[in-house]
Amino acid sequence: MTPLLEVRDLSRSYGKVQAVRDLSFAMSRGQVTGFVGPNGAGKTTTMRIVATLDVPDRGDAFVDGTSVLIEPRITRSRIGYMADQFHPYPNLDVLQYLDFFARAYGLAGRKRLQTVRLVASFCGLLEFADRPATGLSKGMGQRLHLAKTLLHDPLLLILDEPASGLDPRARIEFRVLLKELAAAGKGILISSHILSELGETCDSVVVIEKGARVVAGSIAEMQQSVRHEQEVLLRVLRDAEAAERFLLTQPGVSQVTVDGTTLRFLCTADDQALGDLLSRAIGAGLSVVEFARTEADLEDIFLKTTKGRLQ
Amino acid sequence: MSTGEAVIAAPAPEAPLEEPGFWTRWSDRINPILVREMQQAMKGRAFVLTVFAALAVSIVIAAIVAGNREAGRRAGADAFDAGLATLVPMVLFVVPMQAYQSMRLELRAGIVEQLFLSGLRPRSILLGKLMAAMVQFALYVSVMSPLLATSYLLRGVDVPTIVVSLVWALVFCIAATAFAISAAAQAILPAMQAFANLGAALVLGIGTFSLVAFVGSGEYSRELPSLLNSTAFGIVMSLVVGGGFCSTALSLLTAQSFLLHSFENRSTGFRVFMFAMIPVAYGWTWIFVPATHWYGAVPAATFFLCLLGVVFGIFMTTEQRALSPRVFAHVPRHAGLAAIAAPLLPGRDRGMSCLILYFALVGLLALCWWPSVAPAFPGWTYREDMLRLLLFTAAYALVYLGLAKALRARLPASIAGNHVARVLVVVMVFGFCLLPVLIDAFTRGRVDWHWGHAMNPFWTIERHAFRTRDQSPNAVPIALTALCAAAALQLPAMLRGFVEVLGASSARRRRQAGTAVQSAST
Repeated sequence: MTPLLEVRDLSRSYGKVQAVRDLSFAMSRGQVTGFVGPNGAGKTTTMRIVATLDVPDRGDAFVDGTSVLIEPRITRSRIGYMADQFHPYPNLDVLQYLDFFARAYGLAGRKRLQTVRLVASFCGLLEFADRPATGLSKGMGQRLHLAKTLLHDPLLLILDEPASGLDPRARIEFRVLLKELAAAGKGILISSHILSELGETCDSVVVIEKGARVVAGSIAEMQQSVRHEQEVLLRVLRDAEAAERFLLTQPGVSQVTVDGTTLRFLCTADDQALGDLLSRAIGAGLSVVEFARTEADLEDIFLKTTKGRLQ
Repeated sequence: MSTGEAVIAAPAPEAPLEEPGFWTRWSDRINPILVREMQQAMKGRAFVLTVFAALAVSIVIAAIVAGNREAGRRAGADAFDAGLATLVPMVLFVVPMQAYQSMRLELRAGIVEQLFLSGLRPRSILLGKLMAAMVQFALYVSVMSPLLATSYLLRGVDVPTIVVSLVWALVFCIAATAFAISAAAQAILPAMQAFANLGAALVLGIGTFSLVAFVGSGEYSRELPSLLNSTAFGIVMSLVVGGGFCSTALSLLTAQSFLLHSFENRSTGFRVFMFAMIPVAYGWTWIFVPATHWYGAVPAATFFLCLLGVVFGIFMTTEQRALSPRVFAHVPRHAGLAAIAAPLLPGRDRGMSCLILYFALVGLLALCWWPSVAPAFPGWTYREDMLRLLLFTAAYALVYLGLAKALRARLPASIAGNHVARVLVVVMVFGFCLLPVLIDAFTRGRVDWHWGHAMNPFWTIERHAFRTRDQSPNAVPIALTALCAAAALQLPAMLRGFVEVLGASSARRRRQAGTAVQSAST
């Protein structure tokens, strides 16, 4: 089956700066893919190329099998691009703003009116319908921006830092909207600096640094890949020193830290070996209250896979 | 493609939607930009205030005229002058500046890119803005129309004067608005912002003040009736309307080229415009200029076309060399069509081919027409002078634009490189003209033409094309040799330009064949 988005050996440079180099990844329908990387890593450049607003020096990207390079017009009808900045027109209210873009997308008559109201309703904008588009809060402005992006029912949404500058409530509401869109079958490529947000929204992630792909795949696969040396938490009822001495004698255990009765250590063991370690700890007379592997979240993955180098 | 209703799992609106009204259905047929601009204007304070100010001025003038009944016919003419003097700033400054502001707003923080992602093309955006300006024009004219009607009823002016004045006001308004939109679009480059602001304000301001002064002095309403009755009216009217149309087209093309990304095809429009000017210039001469005046009009039209070619040539020969990936992918599939389209496609090598074709066409048409013009004037040497003019202009154009191309090749392959090369070409011409003059002035104490001034196109052409007694017998062979040498030097590059286009065409055919095979196997 044709992937919804396939980025193939994409390269783009601006003068001497290589913004994107040989970047490849793919995503399918209904999938939410986080696009992660340090500032200047080439995220926006890649997204702009996929949105047909820039062209690569080499390589190509395909949206539902259509080349962004060769068929930009077809591509544009299949994507919704939400740039990181939003500036609504003055002297237009919310519905007029959406109505204008609906006309620009070629919707007409009853269909246009219906689509505008549906999209406004979906994004929770109907109660602000008569408000000036320039007078909305940042959170509502982002909703209006998203609503505009949805008017022509794109297959793929490209969202560049959509949660930037939003307060926690607005972020949560925005995340809910994205989940509903993904559930409706849209592919979403989203970049953000708030990795905890992405972790809760995304099925997969592409990490890039200095324009090149560092790692890509589902979040579960990534957790597995960074699990080679995972952090384990052990809490005992008493005698943390004995527990520390015990751990230091165990194979594959390193970097034991003690904080009261809680010990943390790195372990290269798999699930079976961890079970054995727990049995040995209990057998050694340690009063174990809690023994758990700390799951790597997106921030861990990001920190472990990137080196924080900028262009 | 399904619409939003198909996919978005949205709650239903509280009330069922009514059938779209007449306005909604009708507005679906017009440009979305026009609809939006009108909605914004009706909600904005500036537009409403300006309309009311125009209305107030109109009422005040009408009251003054009504209070001065003794003046009779003169009062009617004064009312017309006052009405027109009020209308001119509205249509020549207020409307274009509003279009300018609107365009600047569009360019702020990439809003215009959001429009490109929709179905709107740069052309639709520009036309929408132009149409919005026309609606405003109609509104201002309707505000002033009672005053114009009063001036007619007082026998101050006749209907043709009013109609011609309004047609000219419309043409000037369209041209000024297109110029303002173009200036605003150029401000997309940060370096151009100050020039664009200043240029738009100065040009529109000076133009408005001059016209207001001319109309307000009463000279306009006195002179126009005599022009209307003269044979020159057709020439003047066609020049104003044709000039306005060409200026508008050029402004819109310029604006479009700034709105389009550097990887889109920004050249073909200009090249087609340049070729279109050949039938326009010669056609206008044929239709509007009496045959008895062709002896001067045909060479003038030819000289105008040569100058146009040189100016466009500077831009064409300082572009990037290769086709951008997107243009490369859209070259005509048919090899023959691709070869025909090649001179019109972007790239400086193809630009040079385009320029040579253009000069060849202009020269050919001029040479075909002149024999029918020259025999009417026995003993006339004008024809030979004009042949020399064409030869010299073409030779200088090819030599300088060849140098411009070489200069461009040494600059970075970016858009900024194009702009730098264009400025440097003008500096180069200026330097070649000024330096020998300065050397003469400081070393010999006087400035005469000699071969050291050969790179000064203006002086050399003036001396060797027009002034028969000063002509050197070697001048024509030298110019001919320079022309042939410059063209021959460009041949390999021009060939390379053609080959690139044919290669792109072939790649497109292969790609299409590959897609067909893939779909068949699927």
